[in-house]
Amino acid sequence: MSNLLIAATSVSNSPITHAGKAIGLALGVGLGALGAGIGIGNIFSSMIQSVARQPELRGELTGIQWLGFALTEAVVFYGLLGSILAYVLV
Amino acid sequence: MKRLLVAMSTLALLLPANAFARGEFDPTTEFEQKEWIPIHLGPIDMSITKAVAYLMIATVVTIAFGLFFMRGTPGRKAGRRETIGELVYDVAQQQVAEQGLPHKAIGRWFPYVATLMLFIFIVNFLGFIPLPLTGETWHGIPVWGIYAATSSISVTLALALLTFFFTHIEGIRWNGPVRYFKSWIPDAPKLLLGLIVPLEILGQFMRLISLSVRLFANMLAGHILILTFIGLIFILQSLVLAVFVVPVAAVFYMFEVVIVIGIQAFIFAALSAIYIGSAIEPEH
Repeated sequence: MSNLLIAATSVSNSPITHAGKAIGLALGVGLGALGAGIGIGNIFSSMIQSVARQPELRGELTGIQWLGFALTEAVVFYGLLGSILAYVLV
Repeated sequence: MKRLLVAMSTLALLLPANAFARGEFDPTTEFEQKEWIPIHLGPIDMSITKAVAYLMIATVVTIAFGLFFMRGTPGRKAGRRETIGELVYDVAQQQVAEQGLPHKAIGRWFPYVATLMLFIFIVNFLGFIPLPLTGETWHGIPVWGIYAATSSISVTLALALLTFFFTHIEGIRWNGPVRYFKSWIPDAPKLLLGLIVPLEILGQFMRLISLSVRLFANMLAGHILILTFIGLIFILQSLVLAVFVVPVAAVFYMFEVVIVIGIQAFIFAALSAIYIGSAIEPEH
């Protein structure tokens, strides 16, 4: 195991490094998408409930809903950006 | 139908014998900036690149949009043309400006946030219209491609810097420097202040990052997604794959055009309005 690690760190072009980078990239984006998926689901479920209770507030709520959607969705892209940086720089 | 699909997919995976011997195509090269007209003023690089060309077109289109849709002739009934203009104006006024800006500052900052919304929308929208601006030629014919200027971080960072500076200038102008910077210090036990105040100051700069990276990463990821799916044909060198990847790419394309570009423009303008508004009227 330790031999493996030394090989991976000393030869930056080895297949293990490539595999690690790919796993890191996928893990970053995937976990970001996981969190954002939960968040976006929460936003839309709350929106449906609010509109079902008070349909007359729909117009006002729509703006807030999209604001929350975009703020949450951006989390994926922070993850993506961090992963790509790690992928390129390491 | 289902059986056909399964057969096709098996065929698609079997057909290229050297499927994983990579082709020449790499989607990231689409985002490289090449100097078309080099302009170097000392250390400042002001060369005309693809992004600059797209921004110039977007500026012209934004001005034309305003002139065409927002100018009603007096004494005539408003037609469809004016209705579109009013729709944009309504969104900018009610959803963006009035949500974030306090009443006393709306006259001064409404034009800024409305322009921001319209301009970002048009830059984003131009990014999804194929234009012969890829800078490559195929047998002398310019290659058509999609590229959004907002998928370059310099563009979005410049826009975010505008908002950042306006926020603090307005905060100081309305409240005076002492009261404005004091408003960053929240009510908290003295012991915690040493922890909170650096975080607040950091938060002001995080706004800059979150504003710029949100727009930039959204547009970049959208384009990479579409280009990668279409690029699979060239990467795996199998034309049969087109049956699958082109519809998927089309779905993502529609998602980006219908939902993402409008929302991103709206968000950028709305957050700018909220930031400027919260600097003009601090909570305490």
